[in-house]
Amino acid sequence: MNQGIEPYLLVSGILFAIGFAGVVLRRNIIVIFMCLEMMLSAANLTLVAFSRHYATPLSTPDYQAHVLLFFIITVAAAEVAVGLAIIVALFRTRRSIDSDSVSALKF
Amino acid sequence: MPAYYLEIIVVLLGLAVLTFDAVGRVEDKRSLAGLGVLGLIVVFFLLFKTSKPADPGSVFWKFYATDALAFFFKGIAILTTIVVLLMANDFIPVLQRFGPPVEAKAHPQSGFAEFVALPLFLCAGLMWMASANHLVSIFVSLELVTVTFYVLVAYLRRHELSLEAGVKYLILGALSTGLLVYGLAWLYGATGALDLSGIEGALATTENPLPALFALAFILAAMAFKVGALPTAFWIPDVYQGAPTPVTALLAVGSKSAGFIVLMRLMTPFLKSELLSGKVVAVLAIMAVATLLYGNFAALLQSNVKRLLGYSSISHAGFLVLALASAPSHGGALETPATTVAFYLASYAITALLAFLVLSIVSAARHGDDLNSFRGLAKASPFLALLMLLSMASMAGVPLTIGFWGKFFVFQQAVFSRLWLPLGVAVIGAAAGFYYYFRLIFSMYLETATGADGNPLGKDTLTKIGAGSRIAMILLALAIIGFGFFPGSILALLR
Repeated sequence: MNQGIEPYLLVSGILFAIGFAGVVLRRNIIVIFMCLEMMLSAANLTLVAFSRHYATPLSTPDYQAHVLLFFIITVAAAEVAVGLAIIVALFRTRRSIDSDSVSALKF
Repeated sequence: MPAYYLEIIVVLLGLAVLTFDAVGRVEDKRSLAGLGVLGLIVVFFLLFKTSKPADPGSVFWKFYATDALAFFFKGIAILTTIVVLLMANDFIPVLQRFGPPVEAKAHPQSGFAEFVALPLFLCAGLMWMASANHLVSIFVSLELVTVTFYVLVAYLRRHELSLEAGVKYLILGALSTGLLVYGLAWLYGATGALDLSGIEGALATTENPLPALFALAFILAAMAFKVGALPTAFWIPDVYQGAPTPVTALLAVGSKSAGFIVLMRLMTPFLKSELLSGKVVAVLAIMAVATLLYGNFAALLQSNVKRLLGYSSISHAGFLVLALASAPSHGGALETPATTVAFYLASYAITALLAFLVLSIVSAARHGDDLNSFRGLAKASPFLALLMLLSMASMAGVPLTIGFWGKFFVFQQAVFSRLWLPLGVAVIGAAAGFYYYFRLIFSMYLETATGADGNPLGKDTLTKIGAGSRIAMILLALAIIGFGFFPGSILALLR
């Protein structure tokens, strides 16, 4: 049980790094979007870990952080709903969801 | 009336617009925008009628600030949305050409009601941001604004550039959300509090600054995205150019000003902490220098006016970050820098809205927003050319315009705080600004435009300006000059 907070932070940090790397490196917009969701999950895991870390002596976690977490999940769902619609519109006009195909706007 | 009623009224107003469109069989949908504008004008005056919270200690007011700064930024958000709705009215022809596909039997203006309702919801989000005082309310209001912008930027679904701008804004916006959330989680981890006063208390006594600085890096990167500062400002030119012009105006003014008040509120605990303030100032100063250099020098090469305004918006963000960086010299109270930032944003809002109003009329009439569309504008429409001249002069910071005072106060702050290097860069940046703003003026007054057929572009379509936008343009122009003579009247609102 009481192995401290570090493993949780490490896992969430790795999750965040994988998500970030995916956003930067991948070319498929759907995969990029999945990686973005992974970054949000990493933040959620961090929040839960810290809320256990700041547990009161009666060992209930700090529920404030849980409230933020539920808002993050809700907002992520809203973001996906709008985002996928935009990606579908892009696919209809370009027949491609490759991020290299969005390059008409340039310096 | 409690202050939070205002946001509820604005949301209801947006719902009313949608309802009237659905059940009311509105013939000319421009009346929907009119409804929105009238409602917002009422809300603007209600802003001065709000009451102080009866029980300031209760939990709700941990989430919601009601200081002068919050009301000031709510005012900016409302006025911006009013101008944007007026701009949207003149934008209907473009929406009909490129907007969501319309079925044969549907109303020819269908899809316009959403284009009015979404900015209203967005306005409510901006007003919440102005009052957000707790990590939860900061996050939720920020996302309300961002997700609405995803829809609005990609609104011209059949226009290649708008869709592309929408996809770019979507991915980079979601990325900045991810960075922000991770930063907020670590800020909570470093302090054990989610409300900003609790965070301030914890940071003042902290002994290990590393977790807080780790959180700060992510938060700064995410907020820099919202306000258009480096290291995450690269989306701005593309999205500004691709988005529908009213949405670009809303992005430039609304998103930036609300982003800055959230940034100020988030930075205050860091700047007040003895241990951290020096490091935070160094980071902010570097951000300001990089933003000023990038914005001003990239703007020198632009030939598209919308893109030019994008780079100019980056350079204005640079001045604003510089004002923020000069906070601790005032005992960390952040009061004077907050006033400077608020004044600068008000001046930028007035100036940029006027520029975008003229731009949207010219680009709709001449089917283009590059420099060529502005050539010879002084002959085709002296009225529009004069307004653009005023706006550009104020952007560059010519004395006796409101933009001059904005830059003047920023420079004054930087001198007080002895930030000599960033100040030098800011002065060079302001000088570069004179070049690219005045090049536009030069094109309007001294060159003649030639259309695709080789003939000079006529004035026929330029005279069709809606009465609402005409009044808004004249009022904004008067504000640029009036507040240029009496900047104190804006500052008085902040006390």
